This record gives sequence, structure tokens and C-alpha cells, in this order.
Amino acid sequence: VNDGDIYTMVSSSLSSKRYTYIHESGSETRRGAIDIHHVIINRSRSTGYARLMGLAFFLVILGVSINIVLLMFYLYFSMGYLKWIIHLKQDNPVRTLSWSCLLSGFFVVIQSRKLVKKGEEALLHESVIIMPTFGIQLETQYLSGKTVSRFIPIDKVLKPVLVECVTPVTCYWSLSLFLRGEEQLTLVFKELRPSLKMLVPIWKALCTLIGTDQSEIITEEKHVVSG
Amino acid sequence: MAEPKLRVLMVSDFFFPNFGGVENHIYYLSQCLLNLGHKVVVMTHAYGNRTGVRYMTGGLKVYYVPWRPFTMQNTFPTVYGTLPIVRTILKRERITVVHGHQAFSTLCHEALMHARTMGYRVVFTDHSLYGFADVGSIHMNKVLQFTLADIDQAICVSHTSKENTVLRSGLAPGKVFMIPNAVDTAMFKPADVRPSSDDVITIVVISRLVYRKGADLLVEVIPEVCRLYPNVRFVVGGDGPKHVRLEEMREKHSLQDRVEMLGAVPHSRVRSVLVTGHIFLNSSLTEAFCIAILEAASCGLLTVSTRVGGVLPDDMVVLAEPDPDDMVRAIEKAISILPSINPEEMHNRMKKLYSWQDVAKRTEIVYDRALKCSNRNLLERLSRFLSCGAWAGKVFCMVMIIDYLLWRLLQLLQPDDDIEEAPDINFCN
Repeated sequence: VNDGDIYTMVSSSLSSKRYTYIHESGSETRRGAIDIHHVIINRSRSTGYARLMGLAFFLVILGVSINIVLLMFYLYFSMGYLKWIIHLKQDNPVRTLSWSCLLSGFFVVIQSRKLVKKGEEALLHESVIIMPTFGIQLETQYLSGKTVSRFIPIDKVLKPVLVECVTPVTCYWSLSLFLRGEEQLTLVFKELRPSLKMLVPIWKALCTLIGTDQSEIITEEKHVVSG
Repeated sequence: MAEPKLRVLMVSDFFFPNFGGVENHIYYLSQCLLNLGHKVVVMTHAYGNRTGVRYMTGGLKVYYVPWRPFTMQNTFPTVYGTLPIVRTILKRERITVVHGHQAFSTLCHEALMHARTMGYRVVFTDHSLYGFADVGSIHMNKVLQFTLADIDQAICVSHTSKENTVLRSGLAPGKVFMIPNAVDTAMFKPADVRPSSDDVITIVVISRLVYRKGADLLVEVIPEVCRLYPNVRFVVGGDGPKHVRLEEMREKHSLQDRVEMLGAVPHSRVRSVLVTGHIFLNSSLTEAFCIAILEAASCGLLTVSTRVGGVLPDDMVVLAEPDPDDMVRAIEKAISILPSINPEEMHNRMKKLYSWQDVAKRTEIVYDRALKCSNRNLLERLSRFLSCGAWAGKVFCMVMIIDYLLWRLLQLLQPDDDIEEAPDINFCN
């Protein structure tokens, strides 16, 4: 341990099923102490594969079920017309069904390949290093040892915000930064989606960094979150 | 703030920034429910760039889900595609009642189906009348039958609408409540100084100039009334395909100085047009609930109308058959009773009869009734679908079974407690 080292200690940590949040802060006595917030994925490779298999299974079921429903609708609409009954006797519905099953199978295989590729680049953890009066460093570390980092000087940061992001299939919270001169919001955690419980202390720390008066912000009704 | 009594999710394809009757209804109803202390969340599809979560007045949270609309503002019907996002929203906001609006909205039907599968209480409001004869209506009615087979309560906006819905869907009439629409009486006030009715009587018409709104009737009625009463003038607001016919009528009878065509009138300016008149003329052939006549009555105008759903008290309206001669007779009668009309008194009566607060209280009763309904398990619910039709019943059962399986699968992939609950944000006013 050299004199030049910065001493940090773990001041708090939170753990959920998927992520672990660790907050390291510099010693209280030193001014300008660095604050580090880590969010680590706690999953092993095997659970990754299990999820892939689950997803593949889901897609197969979805493909097959949509085919069955379409087939039933096709038959329903054709029920009323006598001449269509002749078509029923032919192989057409069965053939279309088998083709669409094959196609959905193909689709599933392609998707799982993409996901496996992503899995190789498995994330280890992302962290936010807050340096008072200096700036913020965002780091993403991968299993392969690669680290991607980005430094944002303090005068570029306008405001940190907690945003609810809605996608066609889900909705989640994300912590973003308004940066001077940039139109788009900058995500603090690019790949991970930690829960709101973990994001709030980081957001508060960022607010303190840029000196936002937190009482101006909308008062939040604290709801006891289960699980 | 105390824990809200009910947490309602309003689902429809039709919401602001799109403008119309259903959107208005959802917005006003939500605001009044928020005032009563409940929590309301609205779910609709994305409009252009507007996606994500938005907050409106009073803390009304709106989810603009990024599903592309494909025709007439409806989301593309994928039957099961919206299951993950609906499940996420229901869990995040800890919803207790799901309220769907408008039979024509695909998002509404899908969301109600998923909510039912997951065991939530479901209420449906129908805003329009539909036919029975053409191919589009038949299929729409089948879809409606499917959705309403398993619903807890339904609401219709008028007795006409209730009859129509019950016939179309085969729903038990005892389950359908009738809650009329209301009008924003704070916005539609009579003029401070009423225009004098001694020299000139002004008849106002504001509607879309289409066949269904009786624009053809107007073409017959206006020249006749102008001929009988030299002191009557017409103000026609609104635009549409029949605009050309009205222009032709003006030319033919040289009524340019007696019939004023305003073109499309934005909703914010409707009141200023209404207060210039004494009588409001509505010639719609069919309407589930005509808000236009409520707005006119709230502004203190005497109304002449065809027999549409949502009719005013007898002394505020003169009814007529959708026939030119009968309408002329009704206008004559209206002109004769015009001196006895007091706009302020009319407005005050409207305030008491039609208010959104009243609608919200009645809707609250419907929600409470829905919550009291027992939760049926899957097999009992499937038996309800079988009565929908010989073939259709089995298709519906299949659809529900697959929905149930997909839900269970989603629960395996993303367990319920993985979905984080969103905090209730209290806006300091």
C-alpha cells in the first residue's frame, strides 16, 4: 500500500437476483474524495444458456400457436362457403402449417445464434466513477478483459435524470445524463438494467456532484418495494 | 397521500394527441377519478415521435407503447404480441381494474383478453353504434362477442347504445350499465349578452358534412326554412365530402347572404360559434351519443334534432324524424317557443344533469361492482366461450388456452417479482 493510493471503502451494497450494487466511497475526511458505484452481474454462464433455451422454446411455442390460430381462422372463414370445402380436402392447410413450422424453427435458430454471440461478449460489470469538480467516468468491463470507458467533464453535464423507457415488450428504468451540446440523452449504464433501488443512490450522488437542489425535484412517494 | 382506493388502467387506441369524442371521454373521466382519489394510468399506442411515458395534468400517467398503428389509428393486431408489455404495465402500476374503451380499438381487445387471462377485473365501455349487415361489421361483432363473453361489467353511453351492444354481442343486459357522457359545462357557457332574437334568428349547424351526419337532409331543409322565414339565417360549421352539395344549394337558391359556411371549426372555437346562434340544428341519422347537442344546450341554445342517442329533457329539445318536412315543422315549432328560452337557466340545468364528476362517481360504482365479481378459474371461463357459436366458440377457447400457456411461459422466463413496481409520483400543485 503506497501513500499515493486512494483509500476507498465499501459504504453500501445492494443485491438482487441478477445484479449486485456496490458503492465505494473515499474516506470522509479527505475533500474531493472519489465515489465509485459498481453494478455487477451475478450470473454464471450456465444460467445464460438456460435462458437462451427458454427463449428458444418460447419462440417455438409462439410460432406453432400462431400457426394453429391462423389455421383455425382460415378454416372458420372458409366454413361458410361451400366451394371452399373442396379446397379443404386438399393438402394446402397442412402444407402451409408444416412450412411455417419450419420457418419458425429457422427463425429460432438464427436468433439463438445472435444471442450466443452476444453471450461470448459477456459483461462483467459497469461502474460510474464520480470525481467531484472534475467529472464522471463511465466504465464497462467485459469477461474477456476488455474495458470500455468514457470520461465526461463536469461542465458538460447538465442534469442526471431517471427515465422510464418503454419498448414494445417491456418497460424499465434507466439513468441518463443531459449533456451540453448533445441532442440525445447519454445512458449511464449502457448494457445493464439495474433496478430503481440501485439507480436512486447513484442518481442522488450525481445530483450532488453538479449541485442540483434535490428539493426542487418532484417529491416522490416512497413505496415499499417488495422483492 | 393516502393509498389510492382503486388503481385503474384505461386502454384504448384513441387518446390525445388524437382528437375526438372517445379521447375526450377518457381524459375527463380520468381527471375526475384522480380528483376522487384513485390512481389512473392510460395505455395507448405511440403517435409519431411520441413514445414512452408522459405525465398529463393532475399526474395522469400515459404509456405510449411503441406499436405502429396500421389503419385508422389502430394497432396492428398480433393477438399475443402485446402480452409482455401489458403484463409489465399491470404489474408495475399494481393495477386492480382494467377499463377498455371503444369496440373498434384492437389494442383494447387484446389488452382486455390478456388482463382477463392474468386474473384482473375488466370493464368495457362502448362508444359507438355499429351495423349488423356488412362484412366488416360481422367480423367486428364476432371479436366483440369474444371480448365481452368474459367481461365483468360493461358500460354504454345511452340506451340506444346499450340495445345495440347487447344485440351485437349477446351479453346479458343485467351486466350493462348506462352512464351517459357529460359535457364540459365550464367551457361551454352562454354568451354574456345574448344576441337579440327580434330581427334575425340564427340557426347554427356544426357537424362533419358526411352522409351519416345527415348532410343531405340539410340540403333540403335549409332552402325551405329560408323561404318560409325571411328573418332566419344559418351558420354552418364543419367540413366533409358533402360540402360541395351545400355550396351548390347556396348557389341554386341565392342564399349566399343567408347561409354562412365557416369550414372546419377547431374544437376550441366551437363555443364562440355556438354563442352567436339561437337554435342548434342536428340532423344526424344515427349516433350513439350526440355530444354536440349537449354542448349547444350548455351554451343556452334551443336544439332541434333527429332521434339520436343521448337526448335532452323535453323542454330543451324539439325532436323530428329524419325527413325534410318533419324537420321543417320542428324548426317552426322551435322558432315559436324561442322567446320563452332562458340560456342561463338552461346552462345551470345542464350543469346539474351532465357533469363529469357525476359520470366518475357512477363509473366508480361500476368498478366496485366489478371488483366484487368472483374470480373464475380457466375452465369455467372457457365454458362461457363455448356458447359464442358452434365453430367460433371452439376457436375462442383455443385462443384463450394459448394465451394462458404463453402467460405461464412468460412467468417462467421473467418471474413476477422481477418486474419492479413503479413509485407513485405525487405532483405538488
